[in-house]
Amino acid sequence: MSDEKDKSGGQGNKEGTGQISRRDFLKDAGLVVSTPAIGSMAVTAEAAAQAPKPGASAATPAGSSAAAKCAGPPHSIELTVNGGKYRYAVEPHWSLRQLLRDEIGFTSPKDWCGGLGACGSCTVIMNGRPILSCLTLACECDGAKIETAEGIAKAKHPVIQAYINNNAFQCGYCTPGFVCTAKALLDRNQNPTEADVRDALGGNLCRCATYQRHPPAVLEAARNLKQQA
Amino acid sequence: MKTWKRFEHVDAKTVDEAASILRTGKAAVIAGGTDLLGTMRFEVLPTYPEVVVNLKTIPGLDYIREEAGVLKIGALTRLEDIAKSSLIKTRYTALAEGAHRTATPHIREMGTIGGNICQLNRCWYFRIPDNRFYCIRKGGKMCYAMAGDNRYHSIFGAVKMCLAVNPSDTAPALVALNAGIKTNKRLIEAEKFWEMTVPGSTVLAADEIVTEIQIPSPAAGAKSAFIKFAIRKSIDFPIVNCAAMIGGGNARICLNAVHNRPRRAVEAEAAIKGQAIHEASADAAGAAAVASAKALSGDRNKWKIPIAKAMVKRSILACA
Repeated sequence: MSDEKDKSGGQGNKEGTGQISRRDFLKDAGLVVSTPAIGSMAVTAEAAAQAPKPGASAATPAGSSAAAKCAGPPHSIELTVNGGKYRYAVEPHWSLRQLLRDEIGFTSPKDWCGGLGACGSCTVIMNGRPILSCLTLACECDGAKIETAEGIAKAKHPVIQAYINNNAFQCGYCTPGFVCTAKALLDRNQNPTEADVRDALGGNLCRCATYQRHPPAVLEAARNLKQQA
Repeated sequence: MKTWKRFEHVDAKTVDEAASILRTGKAAVIAGGTDLLGTMRFEVLPTYPEVVVNLKTIPGLDYIREEAGVLKIGALTRLEDIAKSSLIKTRYTALAEGAHRTATPHIREMGTIGGNICQLNRCWYFRIPDNRFYCIRKGGKMCYAMAGDNRYHSIFGAVKMCLAVNPSDTAPALVALNAGIKTNKRLIEAEKFWEMTVPGSTVLAADEIVTEIQIPSPAAGAKSAFIKFAIRKSIDFPIVNCAAMIGGGNARICLNAVHNRPRRAVEAEAAIKGQAIHEASADAAGAAAVASAKALSGDRNKWKIPIAKAMVKRSILACA
């Protein structure tokens, strides 16, 4: 989402234009190790295989204009996403959603309500809790264990097939959020009632209005999970 | 998606450290962040914090325990943990229900009790992005709801010319349960905790931080309940909500979203105290609670008055 990227930094600042380049800035900030694209380094081999674009973008888009007021220093954080470990230098004003999508490349946390916390499309599971990644600061996620819809699908969690079996979506835009919320519910409650499911999914909006399909899908997933166990 | 303007972010290790950063006057504290980050993203206020101080890194503020007849809840306790706590559900029902009816499951998983009681109001003139209505609560000179669309606003008049209502679902429960709110400086009675300030809604000093909620055990035989009316059941802020604790010779009833701060319905308490709870007595108490309510000129918010009456009645009946 280019509109979410920091407009003050990065791309336009070529070396030799008289401005301080990104590389020089990073050197000055003592952050550069040896690679030009610092920050987004997948730490484990497994993560390198999982990450859609490992090491793709520099995590510190701070150019000359980044000396703007209030610019805090980047925070170095380490987090686990879908089982892979990542270490990033993040700016204080980045959302977790921005980090997951634009930097790491897990695109399932969607933006719908524009960051109001009203739609649930950006839901991810952080330390077992379904949370809104658009209203979470990335720099506060140091040490967090995060699961996105990609990880849930890769692990072949029954909730995915149950959603397909029940046609519990039309356009699919809100589905990653629903799937994360449903999985977080099933992690905590192996025997949910329909009321539990409705209650847990209450914060996810679906513009195609497939609401009535969600409870049977999640209940089917719960039954299949128990059979697997 | 609108992104945040830049700010500095500090992980506080102690409450004192956070308070000392707040003393600079250029900082804001963040716990769950669901209210603060929204106001920052949309630049609701004319000022923007230069420093955001993270309270979540302060150890030992996330707990629910009962000690010597007092329920103690750490300020960083998530609303969902309060809503699910079997101790709170059985003995402090109004608070569990209030926490459960707050916002969406996701926001309850993120938002804390300390943040919920300190949240800013939801007046749509106040909340419009980019500070387009420079109203009284932002340091301006007028209330735009006074002449504008005030269908969700106060039915008990303005406070210092502001018509916004307090939107918290846990606040009336805390007042009904006679809670105390502990900060790094003092212990404040719940009833005296809320006040209209610019832009806040509490009596907290600039460097004061809520650390604990304390609720005395309800008297033997007392029951509490919380009832909320909202447009959508699972998401919305209240149109009107009401919490009541009745029994053991006492009655405490508190309405919210009807006034600038949670409003204790003393008239309803007087009407129901010592009476048997049944349809007729609850109805009379409900009528007493809204006897002094008055729609704003234009009658746009008149519909809230019968709702408030019904909320009082139902919360009393739920305590039977």
